[in-house]
Amino acid sequence: MFIVKYIKDVFSGIKSLLVGMRRTGYYFTHHKEIITEQYPDNRDTLKLPERFKGEVVMPHDANNEHRCTGCTACELACPNGTIKVVTKFDITPDGKKKKAIDKLVYHLELCTMCNLCIVACPSDAIVMAQTFEHSVFDRAELTKILNNPGSRIMDGVE
Amino acid sequence: MPLTSAFSIPFSRFDIHKMWSLTDITTNIHDWLNETFSPTWVLIIEMVIAGIAVIGLFAVLGLVLVIMERKVSAWMQIRLGPNRVGPKGLLQSLADTLKLLVKEGLTPGGADKFLFNLAPIIALVVAMLLMAPIAFAKDFQLWNLNIGVLYVSAVSSLMVISILMAGWSSNNKYSLMGAMRSGAQIVSYELSAGLSILTIVVLAGSLNIPDIIYSQADGWWIFKGHIPALIAFVIFIIAVTAETNRAPFDLAEAESELTAGFHTEYSGMKFALFFLAEYVNVFIVCAIGATLFLGGWMPFHIGNWEAFNHVMDYIPSSIWFFGKTFFLIFVIMWFRWTFPRLRIDQLLNLEWKYLLPISMFNLILVTAIAILKWHF
Amino acid sequence: MMNGSTIIFYLLAALTLVSGLLAVTTRLIFRSAIYLLFSLIGIAGIYFWLNYEFIAAVQIVVYVGGIVVLIIFSIFLTQQAGEQLPRPTMGRQLFAALAAFCGLALVMLQLYKHNFTGTDKPAVEPTVANIGNQMLGVEEGGYALPFEVVSILLLAALVGCIVIALKKDTIMNKEHGKQNDEVKER
Repeated sequence: MFIVKYIKDVFSGIKSLLVGMRRTGYYFTHHKEIITEQYPDNRDTLKLPERFKGEVVMPHDANNEHRCTGCTACELACPNGTIKVVTKFDITPDGKKKKAIDKLVYHLELCTMCNLCIVACPSDAIVMAQTFEHSVFDRAELTKILNNPGSRIMDGVE
Repeated sequence: MPLTSAFSIPFSRFDIHKMWSLTDITTNIHDWLNETFSPTWVLIIEMVIAGIAVIGLFAVLGLVLVIMERKVSAWMQIRLGPNRVGPKGLLQSLADTLKLLVKEGLTPGGADKFLFNLAPIIALVVAMLLMAPIAFAKDFQLWNLNIGVLYVSAVSSLMVISILMAGWSSNNKYSLMGAMRSGAQIVSYELSAGLSILTIVVLAGSLNIPDIIYSQADGWWIFKGHIPALIAFVIFIIAVTAETNRAPFDLAEAESELTAGFHTEYSGMKFALFFLAEYVNVFIVCAIGATLFLGGWMPFHIGNWEAFNHVMDYIPSSIWFFGKTFFLIFVIMWFRWTFPRLRIDQLLNLEWKYLLPISMFNLILVTAIAILKWHF
Repeated sequence: MMNGSTIIFYLLAALTLVSGLLAVTTRLIFRSAIYLLFSLIGIAGIYFWLNYEFIAAVQIVVYVGGIVVLIIFSIFLTQQAGEQLPRPTMGRQLFAALAAFCGLALVMLQLYKHNFTGTDKPAVEPTVANIGNQMLGVEEGGYALPFEVVSILLLAALVGCIVIALKKDTIMNKEHGKQNDEVKER
C-alpha cells in the first residue's frame, strides 16, 4: 500500500533524525570528555599513542652499543632513499675483518614514516620514536646520523 | 456575516496590559520630538534612530551568533571551541571582525564589478528590511503594518536575488553552481514555509504580528492548535533552515564540492556582509517562528489560570522574546552540527514529495479546526 | 513646498523610471534583468507609500520573487549570458521608440479624457479581511467569478506543465515495463 509506506517513511525518517540529535545533544550536555589537545600548553603532559611514528632512531644501551650489523636491509626496503648505510671493516680481536657500520645516515626530510625499514630490520636495531617537533631553521639539520659517535655493535648480535 | 469575526478573541479579559512595556519611553521620545521639530524632521530623526538601532542590533547579533555557533559546534563535537581571545574565548568574533575589516576586498578580473559589489549590500539591506515588522517586546516594533507576516515572506524572497547576483557576477563556475542550487532551493522551500505560516494565520485570523501575538494570550499556538500546529512548526523549521542555506541544506556553499559556493570570490568586508546577513536571516526566521508558534513576547500562559499567568507576567516581555528566538536558533544550530548534507535530488524530493503535500493536507486540517473551533 | 512624503514619492518614481530605462538600454542581459527587478521594487515601494501594503507585498512575491527569478534562471541556462549583446539596428530602435511613444500617448489620452469624480466617502481600509471578502464575494463588487476563472487557468497551466515534464518519463517507463513483462514471460 503506497500511503502506508509513505507514512512509515516519514516517521522512520523523523525517528532516525531524532536518534542523531539525541547523540549530539548528549555530547552537548555532558561536557566532560574533551578531545581537544591544547598543544603548546600541555607539552609536559602530552601523551601520544603507542603506535605514533615520529622519526627513526637507533637505541643505544649504557655501554654505547647498538644492534645494527650494517646489513643494509633498511636501505633496500626504503621506498624513497631516506636511509644510507655507510659500512666499514672492524678488526676483531682474533684478527679477522668484520663488517660494521661507520654511519647510518637518515634523511628526515625525505622520510614518510612508512615503517618499512623497521619491519625489514633483522636485528631490531632501529625503532620509531614519538618525537614530532621537527621544525628547524636549516634544512641540513634534518640529515641525521643515527649511531652515536664511537658506538659499537652489541655482543652476540649477528 | 464575514468569516473572520468568528476567529476574534476577546483580549480584554486578559490582564497583559499590566505588563511592563517600552511604550512609555517610545511615546515620550515621539512627543518630545514632535514638540521640538517639524513633522518632516521628526520623521527623518525617527528614521535615523531606527536605522542606528537596527545597525547596532546587527553588529551585536553578528558577534553573538558567531561565537554561539562556534561554541555550540565545539561542544557537540566534544571540543573546546575558541578559548584564547578574552575570557573563555568570548571576544573571538570581535577579533575575527577586526581581521575582516582590515582585509583587502578583492574583485576578480572578468567579474561584473557593479553587480559584484552590489550583491552583499542587497543581502544586508534585505535583512534590514526584514527587521521592520518584528515585535521585540510588548508594543515595541519598528513598523506595525497590517500584513506583517506576508511582508516578511515577501521580502525574504528577495534574499535569493543577492545570492544569484553574487554567483553570476563572480565569473566563477563554483559561484554560479552555488547560486543556481540556492535559487532552486529557496524558491521551492518558500512554498512550504509559506504554507506553514498560513496555518497559524488561519488559526489567528490575522496577518498582523501584534494581533497574532495577542491571540496567544491564553496559550501558544503550538499547544492550542493540537497536532497540526506541531506538524506546521516542524515543517516551518525545516523549510526556514533550507531557506537560510544552512546545513543540512547548505548546498549553495557546500565546502567539499564548491569551495564556498556563491561567496567563493568574496573577501574582506564584502564577505563579512554576506556572513552577517546569513546570521541575521537566521535570527529573523527564528524570531518569526517564535512569534507565530511560541507566542513572540507573550509569556507562557495556561488558559484562564490567572494566578499562574500573573506570575509569568513578571518576567519582562523582551526576555521571553529573545529566549524563545535563541532557543530556536539553538535548534537550528543543533541540526547543522548533527545532520549530513543532502544531495540536490534528495533536497528536492524532500520538498516536493514530503513537505509540500503534508503541509497542504495539514493546512486543510487546520482550516477545519479553525472553522469548527476545535482549538482551545 | 515639498514635504517628506512628496520627496519619498519622487525618489521612488525616479528609481522606477531610471532603472526601467536602464533595463531596456543596457546591453548586458543579466544586468537588464536586475534593473527590471529594481524597477518592480520601485513600484512596490509606491504601493507601500500609498498604504496598500497587501498589494505591495503581492507585487514583491509575484514579480520580484517569482517572475524575475524565473527570468534570471532562464538567462543562466542560456549560453553567453555574460557577453554584450550587439547594438540593435537603427530601424528597430526607431520602431521600438515609436511603439513606446504610442503606448504612452494612449495611456495619457485615456487619463486626460477620463473624468475622475471625487468622493467624500472614507476609503475602504485595505485589510486582509476586506480583500478576502471582496475576492470571494458574489454580491455587487465581488470578484468570485474572475477569481475562479483565473484559478482554472492556473490549474490548466499546472496540469500542462506536469504533462510536458512527464511525457518522456512515461514512455521510457512503458518500454521498461514491456521489457520486464517479456522477461517475466520467458
